[in-house]
Amino acid sequence: MATSKPWTSSFSRNLATVPSSAPGLKYGPNGTIFISSGIPDLDKILGGGFPLGSLVMVMEDAEAPHHMLLLRNFMSQGLVHKQPLLYASPSKDPKGFLGTLPTPGASKDDKSRDRDPENEHGLRIAWQYKKYFGENQHHFDSNRDVKHEYCHDFDLRKPLEKHFISGQHIDCVSILDSPNLAALRDRCAPFLAQFPRNDSSISSAGRISIQSFCAPQCKYSNMEWDMLSFIRSLRSMIRSSNAVAVVTFPPSLLSPSFSRRWQHMADTLLSVRAIPDEDKEMAKLLTGYQDMVGLLNVHKVARINTQVPVILDATTFSIKLQKRRFLVLESLNQAPIDSSSGTSYGTSASCSGSSKSGALDF
Amino acid sequence: MAESICRALRDGALQGEHAPALTIKDSIASPFGFHVFTHLLTQLSSNILAAKSQSRGLVLVAFSRSPSFYLDLLNRKGIDVASSQKCFVVLMNVWELKHCCRIEILDCYTDPLGWKDALLASENGGSLSNEASTGASLCRNVKDMDKLYSSIIELGKGIVGQGKVRFCVAIDSVNEILRHASISSVAGLLSNLRSNDRVSSIFWLSHSDLHEDRVTAVLEYMSSMVASIEPQNQSANGRRCNWESLPLLEHNYWKGRFHVRFKRRNGRVRVMSEEFHVEQSAINFRSISSEDEIVNRSLLPKVQFNLQLSEKEQIDRAKVVLPFEHQGTGKPIQIYDGRRSLTDGKSEAEPVSTGILQTNENSSKGEIIYLRDSDDERPDSDEDPDDDLDI
Repeated sequence: MATSKPWTSSFSRNLATVPSSAPGLKYGPNGTIFISSGIPDLDKILGGGFPLGSLVMVMEDAEAPHHMLLLRNFMSQGLVHKQPLLYASPSKDPKGFLGTLPTPGASKDDKSRDRDPENEHGLRIAWQYKKYFGENQHHFDSNRDVKHEYCHDFDLRKPLEKHFISGQHIDCVSILDSPNLAALRDRCAPFLAQFPRNDSSISSAGRISIQSFCAPQCKYSNMEWDMLSFIRSLRSMIRSSNAVAVVTFPPSLLSPSFSRRWQHMADTLLSVRAIPDEDKEMAKLLTGYQDMVGLLNVHKVARINTQVPVILDATTFSIKLQKRRFLVLESLNQAPIDSSSGTSYGTSASCSGSSKSGALDF
Repeated sequence: MAESICRALRDGALQGEHAPALTIKDSIASPFGFHVFTHLLTQLSSNILAAKSQSRGLVLVAFSRSPSFYLDLLNRKGIDVASSQKCFVVLMNVWELKHCCRIEILDCYTDPLGWKDALLASENGGSLSNEASTGASLCRNVKDMDKLYSSIIELGKGIVGQGKVRFCVAIDSVNEILRHASISSVAGLLSNLRSNDRVSSIFWLSHSDLHEDRVTAVLEYMSSMVASIEPQNQSANGRRCNWESLPLLEHNYWKGRFHVRFKRRNGRVRVMSEEFHVEQSAINFRSISSEDEIVNRSLLPKVQFNLQLSEKEQIDRAKVVLPFEHQGTGKPIQIYDGRRSLTDGKSEAEPVSTGILQTNENSSKGEIIYLRDSDDERPDSDEDPDDDLDI
């Protein structure tokens, strides 16, 4: 798994003010401020979360609704942290979707997978001179205050409590009937004007989520240049504000050149894919195939204030629902190779585990 | 698998969910989409008749064939069709009401754009022609999707009455609608039908080579099951094999592959295939005899070995006793004073994960002075390197 070390260099951005401890914001290197995506694994993969001022695009798969899982967690996290939200969708009644948002799950005590690899407590070193030093382990006491946790683990089976939804700044827009995108732009602009980015301290951050942006039932869906220019203007508005926008779209419904243009517009680009059901070959190849519901690919990670790219160990992750409730992303693990096939673990990248000679492209 | 499709259409939608939608897709290489459509139509009708399905009626939107064709078809298959008008006027008997299949046909075949009507009106000075005598409703303006939607829903409600009872919708050919309306309005129609809580299931036929790929992609996006009809051997598509005997070609023409992709509720895709054989306007399905399976390999670029531990493995790891760990726990610390054994500076190439560093021995034993005889003797071969470990 990619553990991210914050890049420290001798050049760092001068922060004019002391960072305020607003809940839900995390301060990263080079003046980047992150907000959580709502999925702890995804935050870890992306190096902290979604940076404020970035545009996240998620490419949907026409055959699976996994992008809704990402959107739900993102929106719930924003509501739990009391960050204003703007939600646009091609359904007639977008407010109905708010009823399906998940609630933060149980506290950290009962999670069995809470192993923090960065914490030195976890590594046992048998060392002769340890006895001379005594216990000088650094106690990284991360702030375990449940209410102000940066990223919650959402229980997808239980809906979000009412008090998070009512009385909040939630704006729902239906993009089904609008003939062009001017209406949506007119809703986004004042929303983003609430969070201007300037040197004063941040009061709060905003979240925009747009679901299935080029859905075919929307009237503007064949105006490809208009949609592209909307994305471009959204991106420029977001850059100058303390907000993050997540836009999902099905790339199969766009022409290939436009699909590429949209992908270039994104700061962080993710894609979700469906997996075949009861596929014996895949079950033999991967461990944990039974629990997987889909695959998530990370194509691009936002790097706004720096030239240093993020190089991930793995870009494909499996989406699993742990105990049918919690969204977990794991890197793909190869199943143990059958010893009868006569090959050893030491063979190189080509997977020779299956007895059928299916050519695997790596 | 035609059986699974029939079952899915028959079972219909759960509460709060969109209705299952099927796209039947064929192409010129194997143009039997209409056979599949009629097969499914008759199956679904017989299920409705036998009260095995969630829906109690069917609305058929006929574009490419006339309503009388469908009535004949269903009568030939032994399904007694009665439209709602006849039911109310002629059959006042409850038994007969239950045992006829309530099908309403929305006739978009006779006069889709209202031309005949306009022509007759101009000729006869205003008198309108008869309504179609089969009892099907006539649609004169297929360009208006909203009107089409409301007529379908009205017809459906006319069959099943008010309340919670649902009906199915079958659309003859989406290609015909697309001649008159844009894809986004058709997509709007289909999604409205799917999300209407009176609709149990919906299926439609599309010929994929009549439109751009984008249109086919949109129809697949809107549906929860995609059935595609393909010729027996794909390779024979492009080139016309003249040397192949004509009877064989003709024989193979009537056969083909039937692939279905189901989008399941858990987000996975179920892929199934069958072979079909068309004989005398009846279509038969049977499972594939040969062993080739289509596996999607391109999904897995980089698969790593699992370097993480399960719970049990972690507990076992915690139980492993490592050297030197017991020291410093209260017993007097023995400090190595530098005069003891000679295994100094020898650090073995142990794997890092066990974390054992080989250093000097620190339990005092007798002194051994060892002088090496020759250089080619393997160093320290007499000693067991594990003596140093203080477990």
